[in-house]
Amino acid sequence: MRLLYIDTSSSFLYSAIVENHTLLAEVKEEYGQSLSEVALPRIVSMFEKTNLSAKDIDKIIVVNGPGSFTGIRIGLTIAKVYAWSLNIPITTIYSLEAMAMSSKKEMVHVPMINARRGYVFAGVYDKDYQEIVKPQHITIEALKEKLRDIPEYEVITNDELEEFPERESYNPDMLKIVNYWQDKEPINPHAVNPEYLKLTEAEESKL
Amino acid sequence: MKDIYILGIETSCDETSASIVKNGTEEISTVISSQIDVHKNFGGVVPEIASRHHVKNITMVLEECLEKANMTMDQIDAIAITYGPGLIGSLLIGLEAAKTLAFVYNKPLIPVHHIAGHIYANSLVKELQFPLLAVVVSGGHTELIEMKGHYQFQKLGGTLDDAIGECYDKVARVMDLEYPGGPKLDKLAALGHDTYKLPIPLQDDSYNFSFSGLKSAVINLVHNEEQRGETIRKEDLATSFQKVAVSSIISKARKAIVDKGIKNVIVAGGVAANNGLRTAMKELTDELGVELSIPPMKYCTDNGTMIASAGYYAYLDGRRADLNLNSKSQDTLK
Repeated sequence: MRLLYIDTSSSFLYSAIVENHTLLAEVKEEYGQSLSEVALPRIVSMFEKTNLSAKDIDKIIVVNGPGSFTGIRIGLTIAKVYAWSLNIPITTIYSLEAMAMSSKKEMVHVPMINARRGYVFAGVYDKDYQEIVKPQHITIEALKEKLRDIPEYEVITNDELEEFPERESYNPDMLKIVNYWQDKEPINPHAVNPEYLKLTEAEESKL
Repeated sequence: MKDIYILGIETSCDETSASIVKNGTEEISTVISSQIDVHKNFGGVVPEIASRHHVKNITMVLEECLEKANMTMDQIDAIAITYGPGLIGSLLIGLEAAKTLAFVYNKPLIPVHHIAGHIYANSLVKELQFPLLAVVVSGGHTELIEMKGHYQFQKLGGTLDDAIGECYDKVARVMDLEYPGGPKLDKLAALGHDTYKLPIPLQDDSYNFSFSGLKSAVINLVHNEEQRGETIRKEDLATSFQKVAVSSIISKARKAIVDKGIKNVIVAGGVAANNGLRTAMKELTDELGVELSIPPMKYCTDNGTMIASAGYYAYLDGRRADLNLNSKSQDTLK
């Protein structure tokens, strides 16, 4: 089985092609302002490198958020159009799950992404990567409250957050991520949508 | 000659649309998913909400378009995509979809300027004649463009500030007309009399327009009347406003037709649906003896059909894009 992994939820483009638990090709690139220029060409370059064509993929795993709204949409649009057009099974995972999964430590994992104004996107996972606190848009204060009874945990983030000075930076282990989720139930490509975990400002102001 | 089928994709604002057009002139199938009811609640298009709807709808729109045409992607010759101008977050969804299809099916990718689409909406109705003057009027554009042949665009002038459609919507809002207010303002204008005095914008030798002064004049007028405890006669204000707005377009169009020896005038963009403008443009072209083309209402709003039609002529012109094509919120039609 050959899988394509795509994560464009942060300021990095992460993508990989995995075949039978072997990493055939991967991309890890900080893209700056031009994700839409580089995303597809970089993915295509993995196909060129491995001499594969689009039809050679058996399943797509795409990160559907949380993170950069525009970023998520770019990778997710590529993934869902690809899957729909060739009728390839597709499934989604959270960016926070991928972050927890990439950790090598045997302890509780707290992946988080700075959502500004005192908020983060965060989740809490036990040492076996099972969800303790589901991914959400939460104030740092409320998150600390949820972490109070957990004796030992690691914070995983690439963002500077003064409330969490001790942190592990995130560098995805895409082979591990794909291996772990490769059998996850596929969903209809039409139903593959971003998980923003946050309303738009216009909608919030209407509440 | 072999028939050419172009798939056109358009997501520059709040419509997710895909269409298949044969040889640039024959519409095979079109799907438009409009978000107008979503944005109505906010009094205008909210870019982030528009982007969220595009990503949600894109594959369903593509699927329905192919199903309606009873075609598969393999039968498509090339994919035409609106790369700009428009809302960047919205544009990106169509762009990534088009590029992905171009990669997966190894098809040529054709970049189409949104305004070229509005112009070529007319070629779905009648063959274009050159030299041609395109009067592009919409919520984002007010431009006069000269074409000496297919896919040759020369911008003569444009608005220096607000677009005419934007001006209509803002004036409509001051008059408490529900979004989108432009069409409602047009309807009211047919019922009233020209009794309010408003300034005629930018009467100069250029082909340019200016609508912000006119907009401010209406806003001030409404506020002054309110302060004096007077009720605004909405029909009359609509009539007076429309007369000035339309005459500004007409006077610059007249100058361009005469200066450039134009044979065919086309009116393109959302405001091409405006009855006041249609009537005045008909009178002008009748007087000067030039052909007038106005697209049917269904082609006036944003749609993939016009992008596929323009895409065909761009295809013949040899225009292609790579997979690193990016969206542009602003770009000059060339």
